[in-house]
Amino acid sequence: MATSSKSMRSLSCWKQILRQTRAVRQQQFRTLNTTPISISRFPGPPPPGLSRPRASQQDVSNRQPKKMKVYPPPPSARAVCKDPIAAVTESQLGKLDPTRARTRLFTRSNLDAAKVGDILLVRTKNGDDFAGVCLNIRRSGIDTAILLRNNLTRVGVEMWYKIYSPNVEGIEVVQRREKRARRARLYYMRKPKHDVGSVENIVRQYQRQRAMLRSADVKSRDANSTKKKNNKRGSNK
Amino acid sequence: MGIKAHTPPKTNRFNNRKNMPVLGATQRAAFERLIKADVLPLRTGALAIKRGMTAVYNPESGERIPCTVLQLEQNQVVHLKTMRTHGYFAVCIGAGEQNPKNVTKPQLGHFSLQGVSPKRHLQEFRVKDEKGLLAVGQRVTADWFMVGQYVDTKADCNGQGGGSRVYPGKKMAGRMGGQRVTVQNLKVLQTDGERGLVLVSGAVAGPKGTIVMIQDAKKKPWPNVPLPPSPAEINLELRKEIDAKLGDAPKEAQKAEA
Repeated sequence: MATSSKSMRSLSCWKQILRQTRAVRQQQFRTLNTTPISISRFPGPPPPGLSRPRASQQDVSNRQPKKMKVYPPPPSARAVCKDPIAAVTESQLGKLDPTRARTRLFTRSNLDAAKVGDILLVRTKNGDDFAGVCLNIRRSGIDTAILLRNNLTRVGVEMWYKIYSPNVEGIEVVQRREKRARRARLYYMRKPKHDVGSVENIVRQYQRQRAMLRSADVKSRDANSTKKKNNKRGSNK
Repeated sequence: MGIKAHTPPKTNRFNNRKNMPVLGATQRAAFERLIKADVLPLRTGALAIKRGMTAVYNPESGERIPCTVLQLEQNQVVHLKTMRTHGYFAVCIGAGEQNPKNVTKPQLGHFSLQGVSPKRHLQEFRVKDEKGLLAVGQRVTADWFMVGQYVDTKADCNGQGGGSRVYPGKKMAGRMGGQRVTVQNLKVLQTDGERGLVLVSGAVAGPKGTIVMIQDAKKKPWPNVPLPPSPAEINLELRKEIDAKLGDAPKEAQKAEA
């Protein structure tokens, strides 16, 4: 709107010239002050290994906009081990169940596997064996557990056993259920109507049979092969 | 524009005369309090990802110990905080990887200057003194933690609820969870440097996949297990490696010329 007259225009021109000279002076001042400096982060001499040659210690006097260097990432542990829980479980099973017999006994795809409704006998390290109807199989890797129910002195007793626990020496199938159970958890067997009661008699019969078979087996073997006597019994056990 | 009879005496609003006791609210005082309480760890921690829970059996005793599996992912020292510059000592650890396209320019410049790759997570771990400082670029693997030692973990716990604010007294479920939870004195049961796994006894806050800070236990003396290598030793090794590389470079150049 204003500044159309000649005098005003010359004044603005002066302003511009002054501004330019000021800028030039400032720039000179700045360049004079900017000397390559090495930045020390520590009061004394730097600890060995800490003073790495880095971009910050380079000459910064004629810094220009340049492309930033992007460094490659270090090797990834995640790429090596995608499922750590499975890896940890596997390493544990190598120690606790080296033959994988225990795993096979409770694998769904195994036709001879123990199922709910079967009567199972758990032999423990401290000698307190427990037998009962299997009500539930809780499958979760190394924490896989079974729930057994029995009647001791006419009192219903239920026990959870971790199948891979070192305290469990062995798990045996005493009797299979005649028909496949149509439920995954047989909690209805706690009701008086469905409760099978004590399984002691069935277990005792099973153990007697087992002992007879074993003794017969050992006898026949002793009679047949006198040469291969050493280590035979140990490996049979 | 009144008339002033005399210039008033200059009063000092601040109580900063000589030989005054140090104020308790300064950064320096706070640092000294921490030193006096002896709660600052001697070495840095690391960032891990919670991968889930499982159990570990002791084959001899048959004891079952529930444990959390943590995975260290591409941990590297990104930056150091020193007393001289920042008023305290800390190691800034970066973990994971990030597409440089998605990193802001200033941050990319920071990573570029320090000579490390762009990191997904960044976290400072305070250390007691400069002996705890690792060299920038040094990798921290799962072997950093010794089997049998105790650690503290920090993570954000599972959040409950959501949506808008529920006023106190309203007959409705409110928002809770999602806060930082520290679990102290967890024993390290196993470590695996190659897979980056650290198994700690017991539970760690947060869902699977959450980022967890692990550091040496503050309130537990070092148990009867081998001591870890000191940061100075590690730095010295790194220094030697770099020197060897730098030493080799001119030789190779000479060979190429010949």
